[in-house]
Amino acid sequence: MKLTNMFKRAALAGAIGASALLAGCSTVNTEVAQTPDTINGMKAGGHEYILTVTRPNQLHIVDTETNQLVRTCDVPGIFGNGGIAMSPDGRIAYVMTNKWEDVYGFDITNCEIKFSAKQSYDNVTVKSFISMAVSADGKELYTVQNPVRKLSDRFETMAPRLAVFNTDDGLNAKPVRSFPVDRRITKIGSMQNGEVILGGGDLKAINPKTGEMRMIKALQNWDRAPDKWVPPDAFAMHTMGEHVGEFIMPYFTIRWNGAPGDESQADFLWGHVRIDTETGKVESFETVPFEFIVFNWVTDPNDKDVLYGSFNQLSKHNLKTGETMGVQAMDHTYYNINMTGDGKTIYIGGTSSDISVHDAATLEKIGSIQLTGDMSTSDLRLARLK
Amino acid sequence: MNNNKTTRALLGTGALALMGLAAAPAQAADADAERIIRDRCLACHTETGESATPFSRISEQRKTPEGWMMTISRMQQQRGLVISPDEKRTLVKYLSDTQGLAPSETDGLRYLLEKKPNVVESFDQLLQETCVRCHSGARIALQRRTEDEWKHLVHFHMGQIPTAELHAGARDRAWFDIALTNVAPKLAKDYPFNSDAWNSWKSAAKKDLDGSWAMTGYLPGKGNFDATLRVTKQSADDYAVAVEGTYADGTPLTGEGRAVVYAGYEWRASLTIDGVKVRQVLAASADGMALEGRMFERDDEIIGGSVKAVKGNAIAAVTPSYIKQGERKVITVSGNNLKGNVKLGSGLKLISVVSRDSSRIQLLVEASSNARVGAKDVKVGRVSANAALAVYDKLDRVEITPSESIARIGGAGGPIPKQKSAYRAVGYTAGADGKPGTDDDLRLGYMPAAWSLKPFDEIAKHDNDIKYAGTIDRDGIFTPGDAGLNPERKMSTNNVGNLTVVGTVQDGDSSVQGEAHLLVTVQKFVTPIIE
Repeated sequence: MKLTNMFKRAALAGAIGASALLAGCSTVNTEVAQTPDTINGMKAGGHEYILTVTRPNQLHIVDTETNQLVRTCDVPGIFGNGGIAMSPDGRIAYVMTNKWEDVYGFDITNCEIKFSAKQSYDNVTVKSFISMAVSADGKELYTVQNPVRKLSDRFETMAPRLAVFNTDDGLNAKPVRSFPVDRRITKIGSMQNGEVILGGGDLKAINPKTGEMRMIKALQNWDRAPDKWVPPDAFAMHTMGEHVGEFIMPYFTIRWNGAPGDESQADFLWGHVRIDTETGKVESFETVPFEFIVFNWVTDPNDKDVLYGSFNQLSKHNLKTGETMGVQAMDHTYYNINMTGDGKTIYIGGTSSDISVHDAATLEKIGSIQLTGDMSTSDLRLARLK
Repeated sequence: MNNNKTTRALLGTGALALMGLAAAPAQAADADAERIIRDRCLACHTETGESATPFSRISEQRKTPEGWMMTISRMQQQRGLVISPDEKRTLVKYLSDTQGLAPSETDGLRYLLEKKPNVVESFDQLLQETCVRCHSGARIALQRRTEDEWKHLVHFHMGQIPTAELHAGARDRAWFDIALTNVAPKLAKDYPFNSDAWNSWKSAAKKDLDGSWAMTGYLPGKGNFDATLRVTKQSADDYAVAVEGTYADGTPLTGEGRAVVYAGYEWRASLTIDGVKVRQVLAASADGMALEGRMFERDDEIIGGSVKAVKGNAIAAVTPSYIKQGERKVITVSGNNLKGNVKLGSGLKLISVVSRDSSRIQLLVEASSNARVGAKDVKVGRVSANAALAVYDKLDRVEITPSESIARIGGAGGPIPKQKSAYRAVGYTAGADGKPGTDDDLRLGYMPAAWSLKPFDEIAKHDNDIKYAGTIDRDGIFTPGDAGLNPERKMSTNNVGNLTVVGTVQDGDSSVQGEAHLLVTVQKFVTPIIE
C-alpha cells in the first residue's frame, strides 16, 4: 500500500513538474511538499478516488485503495445524466443534475455545495448533454448549453453555446461569457493552453476567452471519398482520460474495400482521436474492430498503445496493431469504464448499481462495489485529491 | 406556458365541466366547438385575425380523429390543458370534420389507424432517415400542415425530446438543420395543408351509414365469421350498432355498441361482442355502400383482423376460398339479400344446398378432377363475387403472414401486458408456369396450419431462445415469455429471442411449410395513440 502511494506521489510530482515547466511556473513542487496527507479525513496528496452518480440522485466517492465507498452526497434536483467534471485539485466535483439543466459543485471531502448554476431562465430551457469541463487552473467551468425557448404556443430552438462560469462565483452563478458552438456536442475537455475541446460531429477547440474556434480533427466533415468510407458516427457520451491527461474521442466508421455497401469486403472499424491535454498533440487510429461494442475507451497509462473498453465484455486492444489482447465476459451490461493512474485497476460502472473492479493485466474481476441506486448513464470519473 | 394563463384555464374548468354534464353529450354545433377552443385553447394559442386560419397553430393542421385526440391528450398531459371528456369528444369530432383528411389522403396508410401490427413500411429515404427512424411513416403521412407548421414541429422536437438529435441515425448528421431546411419544405409539398382532395371531400354530401350490413371478417383464435351489422342512426354521425353472426365453426357471435363517424367516412365503433370489448376502425366508401378496415380487442390490439361490410344486394365473402380438383366440401357464401340461383364456375358441381337464408348459404360443392385451375366467380341471383373461389391442383407454396413480426415480453406482475403475435398461412398454387414464387401463382387464401417454432439462427440456438421466448398455440397465436431478468440466461437477460414461426399446411398426403421471422423483444414503455 505504501509503495503504491509513494509511487503515486512520485508520478504526480513528476506530472505536475512537467506541466509546471510548460506553464513556466516554479512553485508547484513546493506546493506538493505542503499538501496535507488528509483533508477532512480523506487521504490526499494525489490519492485517487472514483466518482459516480446514482439514482435517485446521489454522488458517490469510492477510495481506489480500499474499493470502499467513503462518502455519498445528495444532489439537489431530479437525476440528470450523472455527468461529473472534476476540479484540477480533485476536490470539487461538478455534477449535472435536474434533467440536465443545473450544475452543483461538491467538496468531495464533506459534501458541501460550493457552486451552483441553474442554466434555464425565463422561458428558455437549457440542457447540457453531459458536456461539462473545468479549466486547467480550476477557475472556470464550461458547459455546452442547448437552449430552447418555450413560447406560449410553440418552441423555438436556439443556437447552442459554450457557457463560461467563474467557479468562485459560488451559488447561483451565471455565465460570465458565452460563445456560439456547433450542435450535438456531447463531451468537452480542457487543455493546459486554456482551450476547450468540443467533441461533437467534429473535434474542435474553442478559446473560451475570445470564442475563436479551430478544427482539431474533422470527422463527420472529413475529406474522404464517400464511396470508400462511411462518415463517422462520432457520438461519445462520457468524458474521460484524466488518468493520463488525454481527451479521447472514439467513432465508428466503415471502410468499403469493395463496392460501397458490400459488407462482405468491408472493414467495420473503431476510430480513435486522442488529444494530449498538456501538449495538444493529436493522434488518430482506425485499427480496432467494431465487433467490440462499447461506449468508452481508456488508455493504459503504462503503455499508451493499449486501450480498454467495456459494455457486455471487457476487452483490451493494441491501438497500433488492432490486435485484441484479451476479452473478459461481464456479469451484465456496463456503460462506463475508467482506471487508476498506476494502470493497475479498471473500474467498470454505469447502467446498474454495481461497479465491477478488474485487474488491468489479466482483466479478471477482483472486486465489486455495490451502490445505493442505478448509475444509468452516469460518468465514472477519477479524482486525484491534492 | 404562462402561469396566469394556466390559472385561468384551471379556474374555467369547474363551471364548464358541470355544463358538460348538463348538456347532451352528443353532437355539439360548430359554434359550441369554437367556444370550447376559445375557452380552453386560447390560454396559450392566439387568434390570428385571419378568417381562414383563425387560431394560431390549430388552424394550420389537418389530422385524423386519432391525430386530434393525440394532440389534445398531449396538451392535457404536458401543457396543463384542462378539458372535460365531453368537450374533448366535441373538439375531436369538430376538428376531424373540419380539418380532417380526405379518404384518398389516407390510402395505403390506414394500417396505422387500424392498429394493424407488423406492417413493414417503405418511405422516401430522407423521411425514413429523419422521421421514420423513431415514428411510423404513416404517423407523418397522416398529417397535413403548412410549411411553417412542419417547421414548428421540428422545433417542437428539440423542446420536447432534446436528445432527438443525438440518437443513432441522427447524431452522424446535422439532424436539426436537415429536418428544418430539407425535410419540413418537402413535407409541406408532399403533405400540404391545402389540397383539392380535402376541399372537394369536405364539400361533398356524405351518406348516412344506417341500415343492415353483411359483415365478414377474421379474429385470431376464433376464425372467420360472417354477421349482420344493424346500424341505427341516433343523431348525425352517431349510430347504435348490433352485430349477430356465426364463426366458421358454427359458434354464434353477438354484440352491440356505438359508432361515431368522423369526416364523413371514418367509422369508429366500440362494441362488446360475447363479453369482449372490441373496436372497429373502418372507412366508409364514398357511396356509403361498403365499410372496410380492422376489428380488434380493446385490451389486446394484436387480436384482431380485417373486416368488411357491404350494404344492399351483395356477396360479402366466400369461405373457404379454395377447392382442390376432385374435392367435395361445404362452401359458405355470405352477404345481403342472397336470392336466386347459385352459379359456380365450370368444373364445380353444386351437390346440395346444406342451408340457406338471405344472408348465408351453405353449399356442398364438388370440383371435378379435371376442373380448370383458376379463380372462379360465384353468383347468387344477380350478384356476383368475382374470382372468389380458387380451384387448384396442388398446394405449392405457403406464405406466413406477417412475414416479419415482433412480440414483446410482459406480465409477470409488471404493469405492461405481454404483446402477442398472431399468424396465418396463405396458400398458393404455382400457376401455369409450374414454378411457385412467380407472378402467376394463384392465391388460394388463408388455410388452416399446424404451428411450431424454431431458432432463427445459430445465436438464437446457442442462447436457447426457444426455451424462454414464448410459445405458439394451435391457432397461430404466439404468447411471449414473462418480463424481467431471467437469472437462468446469459447475463440474466430477459426472455427475448429470435425465432422462426413455421406453419405447416396439409395438402392431401403431403404437407407444405412456410416460415416467418419473429423477434421477441422487451416491453414498449411508451404507447402513443398513434405509433
